[in-house]
Amino acid sequence: MDYYLQQLVIGLSLGMVYALVAIGFTLIFGVLNVVNFAHGEIYTIGAFAGLLIFVTFAPPLVVVLLIVLAVGALTGVGLERFAFKPFRRFSDEATLKSRAMREATLMSSLALSIVAREGIELFFGSQFQALPLSHMLNSPIKIGPVTIVDGDLIIFGTSFLMLAGLQFVLKYTSVGLSIRAVSNNPLGARYVGINTDRTIAWTFAVGSGMGAVAGILVGLYYGAIFPAMGFTPGIKAFVAMVMGGLSSIPGAVICALIIGISEALSSIFVSSVWQDLVAYAFLIITLIFFPRGIFGGARERV
Amino acid sequence: MKNRRHLLTLGTAFALGALGLPALAQQPTYKIGYQLPLTGNTAQYGIDFKNSAEIALDQFAKAGKPFKVEIVFEDSRSDTKEGVAIARKFVDDKAIVGVLGDFTSGVSIASAQIYKEAGMPQLSQTASHPDYTKVSEWQFRNITTQAQEGPLNAEWLYASGYRKVAVIAEQTDWGQTVVSNFVDKFKALGGQVVFSEFFNRGLADFRPIITKIARDKPDAIYTGYFYEDGAQFLKQMKQLSVTIPVHSTSASYNQQLITLAGADAEGMKLTATFLPNNPAKNVQDFVAAWKAKTGQAEPGQFPAQAYDAVNIMLAALERAHPNVTRKSLRDQLAATKNFPGVTGDTTFDADREPAKKLVRAQVKNGAFVAVDK
Repeated sequence: MDYYLQQLVIGLSLGMVYALVAIGFTLIFGVLNVVNFAHGEIYTIGAFAGLLIFVTFAPPLVVVLLIVLAVGALTGVGLERFAFKPFRRFSDEATLKSRAMREATLMSSLALSIVAREGIELFFGSQFQALPLSHMLNSPIKIGPVTIVDGDLIIFGTSFLMLAGLQFVLKYTSVGLSIRAVSNNPLGARYVGINTDRTIAWTFAVGSGMGAVAGILVGLYYGAIFPAMGFTPGIKAFVAMVMGGLSSIPGAVICALIIGISEALSSIFVSSVWQDLVAYAFLIITLIFFPRGIFGGARERV
Repeated sequence: MKNRRHLLTLGTAFALGALGLPALAQQPTYKIGYQLPLTGNTAQYGIDFKNSAEIALDQFAKAGKPFKVEIVFEDSRSDTKEGVAIARKFVDDKAIVGVLGDFTSGVSIASAQIYKEAGMPQLSQTASHPDYTKVSEWQFRNITTQAQEGPLNAEWLYASGYRKVAVIAEQTDWGQTVVSNFVDKFKALGGQVVFSEFFNRGLADFRPIITKIARDKPDAIYTGYFYEDGAQFLKQMKQLSVTIPVHSTSASYNQQLITLAGADAEGMKLTATFLPNNPAKNVQDFVAAWKAKTGQAEPGQFPAQAYDAVNIMLAALERAHPNVTRKSLRDQLAATKNFPGVTGDTTFDADREPAKKLVRAQVKNGAFVAVDK
C-alpha cells in the first residue's frame, strides 16, 4: 500500500511540474489561437538566467524568481515582436482568420526556438550545468509512509499562486479585461478601441514570465539545467493544453496532473521506457473521442 | 575593382602555393578523419574527444616526426544518418587514410558498413557494442567491452556478499550488453537478479523506478548509465532515502558525476581503466595538458580513451610511413602491441579487441579512488 501511495505522490509532483509549464502556454494560445513553440525555450532561458543569477549574486530564492519572471517577460515580448507581430501587418477579418497566418507564426516561433536552443548550446555546451547543490530544492520531507521534497511544496505553492493570480488579473484588471476581449474576438476588440498589439505583448509577457519561472523551479528541483531541458515539459504541457480544451487554463492544469499521475502509475505495470507513451496516448484519445477537449467549451475543435 | 581584388587573391594563392610545395615535398601530410558529435545532446563527449585529439596532435607535432598529420573533424550529432554521410565523405577524400570515431556504438556500426566496403581503417575510442568489431577486419576499438567488464563486476558484487541484485540500464544497444553480460555471469555464480529494467536516456525522473527497486529489497543495484543519468539517479535515491549500495560501469566514470550529484554520489563503486590520480608520468602529462587546454578539472575516462585512440593511430602511421595507404595503416593498427597509453597498455587481439586492465574504484570524499573491494 505504501508503495502505491508513494507512486501516487510522485505522480502528483510530476503533474505539478507539467501544470506549471502548461499555464503560460495555454494563456498565450487562448489569446492568439496559435501554438507558441518557443515556450519550451523560454522555460530553458528562465532556468539559465536563474542559474547565472544564483552563481553571481546568490540572492534568496524569492528574489531570483522575481528577476527570472522579469527576464521571461522581456524575452516573451521580444519573441512576440520578432516571431508573431510581423505576421499581423494586416488586420482585416480575412487575414485574422486565415490558416496561413497561423501556420506562419507556428513556423516562426519554431525557428526562433531552434535558434535560441542552439545558441545556448553553443555558449554553454549541451551538458548539464553544475549548480550550487545547496540551492537545490530536493531535501526530503517524510510524511507518514511517503517521502516528498521541499521542492514539491514550492512548486505546488507557485502553481497555485500563478493560477489564482492569473484568474485575478484576467477578471479584475483592465489588462486582463482587454486580454479576454482580444481572446474572444480580436477584430471586435479593435473596433471598441482596445490596443490589440499592446494586449498581445502583455499576454506574452505574462505567459513567458510564468514559463521562465517554471524553468528555474524545475531546474532546481531536478538539479538538471541544460539546453534541451524545455523539450519534454513543452510536449507534456502541449498535451495537457489540448486535453484541457485549448484555452481553458484550469482545464490544462487538471489534465497536467492527470498526465503526471498516469505516468507514475503506469510505471507500476510496465517498464519506464513506455512512460512517455502515456502522454501521447492521451493526446490521441482526446483527438478522437473529445475533439473539444475534456474541459473545453463549445468554441472550437482541436 | 572587383576584378583587381580577384587577381590579388589569385596572386596570393599562387605565391602561397609556390612556398608550400617544396615544404610538402620534404614533409608529407597524412589526413585522418574524426567523426564525433560536436552538437546535439551528446556534444559534450565529442567536444572532449576533440580537445583530447588536439592535445595528442600538438604533442605529436612538437616531437619532430618526419611527417605531418592533419585531423579532419566532422560533426555526426550522434545521428546514424549523419554518421553514414560523413563516412561517405571521408571515403571519397583520397587523402584520408584512416578514421577515428564515432562516439556511440550505433553510429559507429552504421558508419562501419561504409568503411568496410571502401577498405578504410576505423578506430573508435568508445564503441563498446560486441557487434562493432565483428563488422569487418577494418574496425578497431580502444575501449573494453561489457563482455570483459560485466563478468568482472558480477564477480566483484558476488564476492562482496550480495546475492540479490537489481539491474537497470539505459535503453540502448550498449545498455543491453551491460545487463546481459552482468546477469549471465552473476546467475552462473549462483546470485539472483530480482529486478531488471531499462529506461530512456535523459529520463528526468527516476523516482518511479527507484520506488519499484526499493520494493524488491535487493542487496545492491548494478547500473548501466552515463554520468548525467547517473547523477540524477543518485540524487533521487537520496531524495527517497533509499540506501542500497550502487555499482556501475566505467561509462559513469566522470568527475562531472560528482560535481552534479555532490555528496549523494558518495560510496558508488565502479570499474574503470583510467584514474587521473595515477602517478605515472604519461597520465600526469595528459592531465596537466588537459587542464591547461580546457580550463576544466581532471579529464574523465572518455577523453583519456580518445587521447589514447589518437596516439595509437599516430603510432601506426609512424610504423607505416613512408608507405602509408589505407591498407598498410590497417595492418599496422592490427600490429599494435603493448602501446603505453594513459588507459593502460593496449594490445589488439586477433579480433581487433583491446585487452586492458580494469581497476576497481569508489567515490570517496568527492573523488574517484582505487579500492580493493
